[in-house]
Amino acid sequence: MDNPKKTVLHGWHVEQGANMASFGNYDMPLWYKTGAKAEHLAVIQAAGIFDTSHMAVVAVRGQGARELLQLCLCKDLRTCVGKEKTPLVAGRCVYGVFLDDDGTVIDDAILYQLQAESFMVVVNAGMGGVVAGHLQKHASSPDVVINDLTDKVGKMDIQGPLAAAILQKVLVDPGGVFHQLPYFSFKGGFGTFATDCPQTLVDGTPVLVSRTGYTGEFGFELFVAIDRLLPLWLMLLEAGRESGLLACGLAARDSLRAGAVLPLSHQDIGAWPFLHNPWQFALAWNDGRTGFTKDFIGAAALLKTSWRKYTLAFAGFDPRKINAGEGNWVTNEAGEPIGTILTCTTDMAIGRVDGVIVSVADNKDFPAKGLCCGFVLLDRNCAPGERVVLTDGKRKIAVEIRADIRPNRTARRPMDKMLA
Amino acid sequence: MKELSELIFSEEVRYTEDHEWVTTSGATLKVGISDYAQDQLGDIVFVEMPEAGATFAKGDQFGTLESVKAVSELYLPIGGEIVAVNEALGDAPELINQDSYSNWIVEIKPADSSELDQLLTADAYRTLLKG
Repeated sequence: MDNPKKTVLHGWHVEQGANMASFGNYDMPLWYKTGAKAEHLAVIQAAGIFDTSHMAVVAVRGQGARELLQLCLCKDLRTCVGKEKTPLVAGRCVYGVFLDDDGTVIDDAILYQLQAESFMVVVNAGMGGVVAGHLQKHASSPDVVINDLTDKVGKMDIQGPLAAAILQKVLVDPGGVFHQLPYFSFKGGFGTFATDCPQTLVDGTPVLVSRTGYTGEFGFELFVAIDRLLPLWLMLLEAGRESGLLACGLAARDSLRAGAVLPLSHQDIGAWPFLHNPWQFALAWNDGRTGFTKDFIGAAALLKTSWRKYTLAFAGFDPRKINAGEGNWVTNEAGEPIGTILTCTTDMAIGRVDGVIVSVADNKDFPAKGLCCGFVLLDRNCAPGERVVLTDGKRKIAVEIRADIRPNRTARRPMDKMLA
Repeated sequence: MKELSELIFSEEVRYTEDHEWVTTSGATLKVGISDYAQDQLGDIVFVEMPEAGATFAKGDQFGTLESVKAVSELYLPIGGEIVAVNEALGDAPELINQDSYSNWIVEIKPADSSELDQLLTADAYRTLLKG
């Protein structure tokens, strides 16, 4: 690895004896001494914290900012909030993707509206400059200012059913933060990402608390000025010490997100048209799925494309895997090659009982041995329940195409139930 | 991640460059993986083992280890017939993480014990890991 970048928590990770590896040109913890399994289970049954400060943050501000984002993000900002499909407003955020003119994925993103013409775009590690450049290319108004502020932003996540109970110990006004904070909304602000409702940590640090995450479980993404991240990390570790809170590495993040049917950018979505995948909710489809409710960069290419490959989620029948990537492939039950493996990991919180997937979330004594799960890219569509076979040419692992994988996830649970 | 000084080595076994070990005395020999290998793999969640009675040549793949993240292949340090597999790993694959030397994976009746001479001593294996 050539001069990997380090997050401000890097020293802490190394001091804790974490197994480190390169991710997005950052030297990041894969797991700590607790191990990936314990970290994965902590997020299902208690809480985990993740260093996500390698992710990139782009500010888009000024007259015309919203119009630019409406052109570039594939979600319709007029109709993207909640079941009522109301417009994006200050205090709400939305998941979407940025596409190239040919309909392929530049990166996925969460777009935060801070004020009328002030937005924060959170993208993947190393993608700040790329996304900022893409937005700049399409900006027609000289009043729109686009800045990659990645190195000025401290970001960490706290995820799991006890996330709010732990987080409230470090907030000055937890009641104010948690009141009317539905999934994909946020409170507070930090640094130059100011909002009309500031919130602070008990040490006086301004914080942005976002009810989002990348695990499928209840929790928050937290943003502070970069020099305040280590103090926040240490405060939360202390606040969660008696609740089973664990620091979690990228391995647990990967296994949790796969079980929650969430894509990894540049692996499950990438340089191919953003179609025929489980994440079509990120596109501005009209009700009849005949076209889009707005024009956006990449829309015409998606409507015209002859791309006919299908990204599908799967789960196995035991923990056994076939590594994703080159040299391994997918066959039908007759042994004919039908595609490739995008992601293959083990969700350690689940197992099968009479064929049905059960989670330790339902029963903490359930002896889950884990199931392999992930995504395949096939040259045909398969219905949930159909079986395909992952193979490396020697081993063959039969798996089931699934609409969903890990049951009883907590991400969308009402706040009052999680604080009770 | 364990530092080299924290890794456990056994003087009782010989090592391969692929991080397996094999015992050296008796009519049958036990095979497992090194402390370095289990530390690098992380939590082991499944061990795929051969059937007793199967025969392999030195260097043949005889099973796989599954961590949460990936699959790793296991290669035999010495050729011969598998006389036993460690059934305890079926229910508790994490035993390998807890102690990778007492929790062997297969027991083999060697076809040619002189193949042991081609394997690494603990010192040579330690030197290999130093890089």
